[in-house]
Parts: sequence; structure tokens; C-alpha cells
Amino acid sequence: MTEWSTAVPAVSAAFLASSVEVVEAFTIILVVAVLRGWRPALLGTAAALALLAAIVVILGPLLGYVPLSLLQLVIGVMLLLFGIGWLRKASLRAAGVIPLHDENAIFAKESAQLSEEAKRNKTSLDWIAGIAAFKAVLLEGLEVVFIVIAVGAGRGLLWPASLGAAAACALVLVAGGIAHRPLSRVPENTLKFAVAVMLSAFGVFWTGEGLGIDWPGHDLALPVFAALFLAVGLLAATLVRRRTEGTAT
Amino acid sequence: MTILKDVLGELFAMFVADVRITTAILAIIAVTAILMDLAGVSALVAGGFLLAGCLLTVIVGVLGAAR
Repeated sequence: MTEWSTAVPAVSAAFLASSVEVVEAFTIILVVAVLRGWRPALLGTAAALALLAAIVVILGPLLGYVPLSLLQLVIGVMLLLFGIGWLRKASLRAAGVIPLHDENAIFAKESAQLSEEAKRNKTSLDWIAGIAAFKAVLLEGLEVVFIVIAVGAGRGLLWPASLGAAAACALVLVAGGIAHRPLSRVPENTLKFAVAVMLSAFGVFWTGEGLGIDWPGHDLALPVFAALFLAVGLLAATLVRRRTEGTAT
Repeated sequence: MTILKDVLGELFAMFVADVRITTAILAIIAVTAILMDLAGVSALVAGGFLLAGCLLTVIVGVLGAAR
């Protein structure tokens, strides 16, 4: 039976993480569509999605052969490395040390790059544009695949986590299709902060379970860990902001 | 080849965004395992060490990067 205390954070993490990644991929797809039309954009996107689906179809069943405690430990360690890395970056962005992700600026930069590339290689403009869309979807999609597997595999929640990710893809693509411009108003750093907090909490939880730790409260420990990571991330951002303001005055 | 290189680079960057943080996390996990298996520390105390170590890594990682 599905434990809601694990399922809700897993589906939420997959949904939020996918939203962030799809917004980033959509910006590049839009660059390709605006410069070269929707055909190469959609072909590149479809090819990347097919490759990602193949990776999931091939790797997914193999997970069933890995002993659960080993699977939890490996996924937990990977989640900690990934989640704490994201949390560090999100805290630095919140503190103003690293600039926020600007989809409009990325759109302009990628447009200039693709135009430059097209000038140099006039015979295969659509091909270059399609490859750009393919690469963007593949690179961002790999992160989505990892997050879905990581938050879903440890408790048999691969399908709910996949649905969370698919819902995010559909939502972003519909919103992007309607707006027909980069989705720069999506609060990316807030979403990344939330995802990083959840991934770090899952990381500690799975790593501990993989090592044989029986957490007090079992699955209910997850929201407690998430609250602690949120508090620490915000505290770190506040400390850095105060130090920066103190140096400036 | 460029695409393969980019994919491998992306995968590496996913888990090794900062070498010091990666090293610290792996060290904390290793010490947690040693505490449980070799030092006979209770699982709950080892779990507390794992959690506290990861939380401390976030603070030290952010403050260190902002310096």
C-alpha cells in the first residue's frame, strides 16, 4: 500500500524538479522554433524524449534485481550529492552571490549562438537547430530521469513519481505554448530551493535506511529532515547576505 | 562526440558540483558506516551523526563559496 508520507514528497519533488528542468529546456526549444520553425524543434525534442524513454525502459527493470538496501544506499548517496549541491547553489542565489537564472537572457544568448552557427554552416541549418533542441531536452531530461528514479525506486513509487514529472512537462509546455516566449516569470530559484530541500531529505533518509538505520517515526522522519534542510539553507543564505551587506557598508 | 561529451560532463556535474562538498558528504557517510559496523555505536546515534554532518556541510559549503 502507498504510504502517503513518502508518496506526497516523492511526487512533489518529481513535479517541481521537472518543472524547473522543462522550463530550461523549453527556452532552447523556443529559440530553435523562432529561428528555424517548429519542425526541427519538435524533431529534436521527440528524438531526445525517445532516447530518454529507452534509457528508462532499459534501466528501469534492472533496478528490480538490485537488493533493496543496496539500492537505497546508492540512490541515497547520489541524492545527497545532487540535493546538497543544488541547495548550496540555491542558497547562494537567494543570498545574491550567484545571479538568478534569467530565461530571457538565456533566450537571447542561445539565439545569438545559433544564428552565428547557422551563418558559418549554411547547408544544414535545420540539422544544427534540431541538434540544439535534442541536446537541451536530453541534458535537462537526464536530471528529470535521475530524480524520478531516485525518489521513486526506494519505495516502489516509480509510477507516481513519473506521473508527477509528466504532469509538470505538460503544464510547462501548455503554458509555454500559450505564452510563446521564455517562461521567465517562473520562480525558478524558489522551486530549486524546495526541490533541493526534498532531495537532501530523501538522501539522508535512504542513505540511513541503506546503512541499516531505522529512523524514528519511519516515513514521518522525511518531513522533519526537509524542515531542517530548509531552515539550514535559509540560515546560510541569511548569514551570507548579512556578511555581504556588512562588507559593503 | 560533442553530445556524448556534454552528456558525460552533465552527469559528472550533477554529482560533483563542488569537489569539497562531494568529498565531505562521502566522508560523512563512510564515518557513519564505520561508527555502526566497527565502533558498535547505536544506529540512532549514527543516524544523528549522518543528519548533522549533512546539515553542517550545507552551511560550511555556502559560507565557504561566498568568501
